[in-house]
Amino acid sequence: MIKCVVWDIDNTLLTGTYLESGDQPPAPDAGLVEVARELDRRGILHALASKNPPEAADYVARVTRLPFAAAETGWGRKSEAVRRIIDELAIGADTVAFVDDDLMERAEVAAGLPEVLVLSPEDAAEAPGWPQFRPAVLTDEGRRRGQLYAQRRLRQDEARAFGGSRDDFLRYAGTRVLIAPAAAADLPRLHELSVRTHQFTTAAGPASEADLAGWLGSDRYRLVTARLSDRFGDDGLVGGVLADTGEPGSAGGPGRTAWTVPLLVMSCRAMGRGVLDALLAALVQQAAAAGAAELRVRCRVTARNVPLRLALAAAGLRASADQPSGEDQPVVFSRGLAGPLPAVPDWAQAANS
Amino acid sequence: MTGPSPGESMILAGLRDMLAGITGRAELAAAPPQTALLGPDGAGLDSLTGTLLLTEVQHRFGVDVAAEDLSLDSLATLGTLATFIAAHAPR
Repeated sequence: MIKCVVWDIDNTLLTGTYLESGDQPPAPDAGLVEVARELDRRGILHALASKNPPEAADYVARVTRLPFAAAETGWGRKSEAVRRIIDELAIGADTVAFVDDDLMERAEVAAGLPEVLVLSPEDAAEAPGWPQFRPAVLTDEGRRRGQLYAQRRLRQDEARAFGGSRDDFLRYAGTRVLIAPAAAADLPRLHELSVRTHQFTTAAGPASEADLAGWLGSDRYRLVTARLSDRFGDDGLVGGVLADTGEPGSAGGPGRTAWTVPLLVMSCRAMGRGVLDALLAALVQQAAAAGAAELRVRCRVTARNVPLRLALAAAGLRASADQPSGEDQPVVFSRGLAGPLPAVPDWAQAANS
Repeated sequence: MTGPSPGESMILAGLRDMLAGITGRAELAAAPPQTALLGPDGAGLDSLTGTLLLTEVQHRFGVDVAAEDLSLDSLATLGTLATFIAAHAPR
């Protein structure tokens, strides 16, 4: 699945060379811009990588009216520019396509980043018909993805210029995290998150809408969502957690139970905005209020989900000493629910189920 | 109880510079070893800034903390992280 297309500018998105056209820069390539617009409607992001001054990227954004999630301009290697875009957007190289009219640039990116899908402008014109450019699920968050990433760029520029701590910036930005029980209308988006997320997931594979509906209808499970907004924009539903509360009726009784989390997912777009802290703190508090003695999170440990493990550690969850052996087994992270609990941050609001 | 070894002092100094750079908070360049790394107090690292720190640690000291410490207990404080890196650094 392609999540982002990185475009060259000269003789690709523009019908000429930006710096060689004097006062009147070249017009955009109407056909490719229409292709890009169609991909944007499918929730696929766009970015620019060009050997040009930054003004060229601003000009392209203005004349194409496309939302760009990232722009790299300068005279370094294109493969390094694409690598920086991949890091900035926190996506995998195998979810990126690169479009350039110059054969040498295509060869350089293909050699430096073999997972990236490298295309000529002629190939790119056909891309909307290819399966890897057709997302299986498309939600409201998906359709607005390009715009949400463009807002993210503005937010990050302000955060870099801001002097205080992360929490101070979250308050300054008017961050709101709303944690609430899932409703049936949330299931397509939760499924989409479980399909798309690799850095912020405890699970090995996606959760189907039928699985999610089963948990939603069960007294034993709690399915909780996190929504995120600030004054830069409304990100919608960005996270979800599923908790198995044990046998019905046993919570709070003498044989107190553990809450076990088999699934925790968050959009990588929400990284660094306090959502996981809020979600885990709310979960710890709800489990303690329900009389559980322990919170456990089953999490597969991969090279890519280090950010999630950091959030688990920050919420006081530790890997237990006796772990199931074998590569594919999830590791259990747990914490007791007596004593001081992590506080739900003041920018978050937890609605009761 | 003796103080940190010379190697550990150098690691501490390097970690302080990284923390100040990653968080943009200059005061962390002089943070004491008992400064908490995660959570709202202390350095206040989150999943984003914590990942950046671990990437830089691997680059500079050759220690993949996330692979060697499942629970990330070594991130309790600045001092515990320096001790962990000193113990696991390639010789």
